[in-house]
Amino acid sequence: MHGVSHAAQAALSVEETLRRVAGGDRGALRALYDAEAPRMLGVALRILRRRALAEEAVQDAFVQVWRNAGSFDPARGTGRAFLYAVLRHRALNILRGEARTDLTDAVDHDVASEEEGPEAVVARLSEAGALRRCLDRLDPHRRNAIVLAYAHGLSHGELAGRLGLPLGTVKSWLRRSLLALRECMS
Amino acid sequence: MTPAEREALAAEYALGLLDEAGAVRAARLAETDTGFAASLQAWRARLAEIDDTATAVPAGDALWHRIEQRLGGEVPVVRQDPALTERLRVVWNSLGFWRGAGLAAGAACLALAAGLVVLAARQPAPVLVAALLTDENRVAAIVNIGADGRANLIPLADLPVPSGRVLEVWTLWDRARGPVSVGLSQRAQRLDLKVEDLPKAVPDQLFEITLEPVGGSPTGRPTGPILMKGVTARAL
Repeated sequence: MHGVSHAAQAALSVEETLRRVAGGDRGALRALYDAEAPRMLGVALRILRRRALAEEAVQDAFVQVWRNAGSFDPARGTGRAFLYAVLRHRALNILRGEARTDLTDAVDHDVASEEEGPEAVVARLSEAGALRRCLDRLDPHRRNAIVLAYAHGLSHGELAGRLGLPLGTVKSWLRRSLLALRECMS
Repeated sequence: MTPAEREALAAEYALGLLDEAGAVRAARLAETDTGFAASLQAWRARLAEIDDTATAVPAGDALWHRIEQRLGGEVPVVRQDPALTERLRVVWNSLGFWRGAGLAAGAACLALAAGLVVLAARQPAPVLVAALLTDENRVAAIVNIGADGRANLIPLADLPVPSGRVLEVWTLWDRARGPVSVGLSQRAQRLDLKVEDLPKAVPDQLFEITLEPVGGSPTGRPTGPILMKGVTARAL
């Protein structure tokens, strides 16, 4: 109970902070950085696996947030959803689009060794939450595929490689899993 | 696209499965299709809890200082009325508009001459210059790069920018890295380009201007129409 009301308060304050950022308040951006950058860096690190690249994604995300805070619409999701959508977009772009050779170099081993598998990610989800309950209902392979895609940025092709299945099979198989997840969570 | 396909696309986009081209298409669809935007929002909300499972990592002041340095004195872009934006976008994208714009060609050539005079009078001589041409080969802006590496843009033709859109300046010095945004402007105006963090400009480096949503391209890559482009040449 306490956790829910605390989360609701935090969401409210992110939205209010974004409103101030949109008005040109640099201090509000700093407050957002203090509150969210550590988690954002963690999210980016799971996807990019290298500290320098994860920092680049967070840096780009805050630049975008400063410029775009005015386009945040509270009717269309929470402030944190806005922040993480911007961050994830940048991180995935760095991972996919920019074909950077340093991504294929050795990853930071201290980071890689801490990288958790999909089971560990699911185990960290609240048992009381709908996402955990509904992921638990899926076949483990499907559950892991969804979590690997979201948390670690694996593409359709990488999932197919990891699962040893044809690409088309993985695509339709994931679509069905996502549909089942949506139905369970509605 | 059937409703089921749209729903699946929203899920795949939120999950991060789409390749770059697919993600750009989905981002555009979210701007224009409210049903798709709602599905996307619902998927983001469903999956958001996974972000909270990431271990927080101390971010530190150094990263904040780099953010501040990049922002400089830049102020956030004011949001415009989306309905108006849409109408003007239709105008902007119509062929008739561009035919009309072609009539301004003579004026642009005069402006080019005037611009070069201004440039010669007011600034230290640039070492590299790029003339940016429209798709009708009209010179519409000049990029100057000084010996100190600083770059600026001087427009030579007034471009009508629909409200809710901005001009975004890009440069490409490395195809592997792709185009990098170096400036945003709400109208055609003189602009100092943010090239401090980039390698020093070289001859034949591409500069271009695209029309992007307020705040700049949502993807970090050009998504809108290219209004003009050109490559640098060494100034004698």
